[in-house]
Amino acid sequence: MVLLDLGRRINAAVNDLTRPGSSLDEKAFEVMVKEICNALMEADVNIKLVSNLRKSIKKTVNFEDMASGTNKKRLIQKAVFDELVKLVDPHAEPFKPKKGRPNVIMFVGLQGAGKTTTCTKLARWYNARGFRSCLVCADTFRAGAFDQLKQNATKAKIPYYGSLTQTDPVQVAREGVEKFKKERFDIIIVDTSGRHRQEQDLFDEMVQIQNAVEPDETIMVLDASIGQSAESQARAFKDAAHFGAIIITKTDGAASGGGAISAVAATHTPIVFIGTGEHMLDLERFAPQPFISKLLGMGDMAGLVEH
Amino acid sequence: LFRNVVGGKTLTAADLDGPLKGMEDHLLKKNVAREAAVRLCETLQQDLVGTKTSNFTSIETTIRAAMDRALRKMLTPTTPLDLLHEIAATKGKRPYVISIVGVNGVGKSTNLSKICFFLLQNKLRVLIAAGDTFRSGAVEQLRVHVRNLQELTARQDAGAVDIYERGYGKDAAHIARDAVTYAASNNFDVVLIDTAGRRHNDSRLMSSLEKFAKLANPDKILMVGEALVGTDSVSQARNFDAAFGPGRRLDGFIISKCDTVGDMVGTLVSMVHATGIPVLFLGTGQHYNDLRVLRPETVVELLMRP
Ligand SMILES: Nc1nc2c(ncn2[C@@H]2O[C@H](COP(=O)(O)OP(=O)(O)OP(=O)(O)O)[C@@H](O)[C@H]2O)c(=O)[nH]1
Ligand SMILES: Nc1nc2c(ncn2[C@@H]2O[C@H](COP(=O)(O)OP(=O)(O)OP(=O)(O)O)[C@@H](O)[C@H]2O)c(=O)[nH]1
Ligand SMILES: [Mg+2]
Ligand SMILES: [Mg+2]
Repeated sequence: MVLLDLGRRINAAVNDLTRPGSSLDEKAFEVMVKEICNALMEADVNIKLVSNLRKSIKKTVNFEDMASGTNKKRLIQKAVFDELVKLVDPHAEPFKPKKGRPNVIMFVGLQGAGKTTTCTKLARWYNARGFRSCLVCADTFRAGAFDQLKQNATKAKIPYYGSLTQTDPVQVAREGVEKFKKERFDIIIVDTSGRHRQEQDLFDEMVQIQNAVEPDETIMVLDASIGQSAESQARAFKDAAHFGAIIITKTDGAASGGGAISAVAATHTPIVFIGTGEHMLDLERFAPQPFISKLLGMGDMAGLVEH
Repeated sequence: LFRNVVGGKTLTAADLDGPLKGMEDHLLKKNVAREAAVRLCETLQQDLVGTKTSNFTSIETTIRAAMDRALRKMLTPTTPLDLLHEIAATKGKRPYVISIVGVNGVGKSTNLSKICFFLLQNKLRVLIAAGDTFRSGAVEQLRVHVRNLQELTARQDAGAVDIYERGYGKDAAHIARDAVTYAASNNFDVVLIDTAGRRHNDSRLMSSLEKFAKLANPDKILMVGEALVGTDSVSQARNFDAAFGPGRRLDGFIISKCDTVGDMVGTLVSMVHATGIPVLFLGTGQHYNDLRVLRPETVVELLMRP
């Protein structure tokens, strides 16, 4: 799973250093910090973030100023832990839909990230929890986009709206959301085309769709394998669409997800779900705190989680 | 001012350490996987230790020039592939078969359609085989592309294109084989086979590629790698390269979505580094003419840009 290998490697580095009998000197500490940073870089965490994290750890664990007798091991573990938590926990609460009124959720993201697949998964997820859910296909650009959504929705028995002839996504989005609002659906999910920050027209279109459907929540979908471009793309989407939640897809792959995690840190936006496969049920809830606990549960840092 | 300008100095490992670390970080920022960046810098170190810097040349400049050369060399294929030339050689005898593979959502179907457009402009008769029988809408997606391309070619007096599809659920390897047979008896020059996206760590889906290669027997197996992907690109490339059984490897990469990464084009380096397989095309957008052949000097310029 995403970042677990990274967690393992970081734990090993800390454990190596703090193992009884090993010399806990400044040089060994440097080696540990270096190993942690290498692990983060190999996991695609943004290079600038890694370098900040390195500085933070070093500042917190200041060997020279450390009084003799302080529990160095505990200090080091705590510093590493705190920095990791900062990466995935933006301390922002995601939107919680309410039953009995329409909650409009709009999906945005880069091309091929997994939006269309994930919006059906999410509709199904809410449906199973007693929300009447439906889908609107506002992707009029990609070949076969509406067929894709239609086939997924049909399989999952979710009502859908879209058009094979209308070429204006703003129009389709508006019509679809209006129709489903009238029919008193609880969750109305709007799928949009893939886009990227380099094409202003595509970003303008996203903003127009957003103005037309006035979503209660906009979700950015990010592929777990994304590398160093994650931060700048996510920032641009944040500036234009102010998304309030992130879903990371394809976490069943081998990628560590550090790029997507960097987007969390860059935009102070929480991850709410992760995609774990190509099938309808492959969606899991994500919350930063349990995730960190799990990450740490593998080492002996568990005792550090303050309750 | 002349602090770093050493000119005529014999370089030691200690001289190089700092500047090489700077170069490594530079490559990482460009989205080169760490493994590839480290290896490139190690090779540079070996090559440079004991050499003399030129007059008025700093160590940094020396390193940049050496990295520039190393990257160019790496990205320049030893035997350049001329697709049109190869297709011309089989034309009239049998269809030339190209299949496209890669992980989910990287741009296989779209870039297949772009290649089709390129072939059509060269007046070839192309059959597109819908070998993705799994993902919703995959067949319809290709049908739309074929319809668009038919309209374009009718206007431009270009080649001809049709689709071979058997719906969903069927075995892709059999569809691919049947498509080739169909193409042979219907005078198609080229068959382009689309395949379903698959995770490179899914052993079941990866192992089915061996049978696929046997039955479809493609002249070229091209893998689409996405410019957005980070470190994972290394194992994506390795695992796909190893998936087709003994004696069969990938023939080339298409690096898609280059328009979405600015100068962070490191994925290219990572994938070539991992396999030695050349990059044939770059995908530079979502339209039919957004396909370029790789020009190593352009890519190296982007990579070395501060
Ligand atoms: N393995 C795996 N594949 C996934 C996951 N989510 C989506 N996919 C696959 O990723 C590919 C792209 O998914 P789409 O839903 O079409 O992506 P999109 O963001 O809608 O793409 P565009 O609309 O073209 O921008 C498809 O092959 C999906 O089956 C996941 O969690 N795991
Ligand atoms: N910006 C940009 N987008 C691209 C490029 N190539 C493909 N895309 C987009 O990427 C998305 C996914 O493309 P597809 O061709 O469906 O990808 P795929 O690999 O066939 O996906 P699956 O079959 O689901 O695995 C679409 O929105 C394409 O328009 C490119 O070079 N640049
Ligand atoms: Mg989509
Ligand atoms: Mg496809």
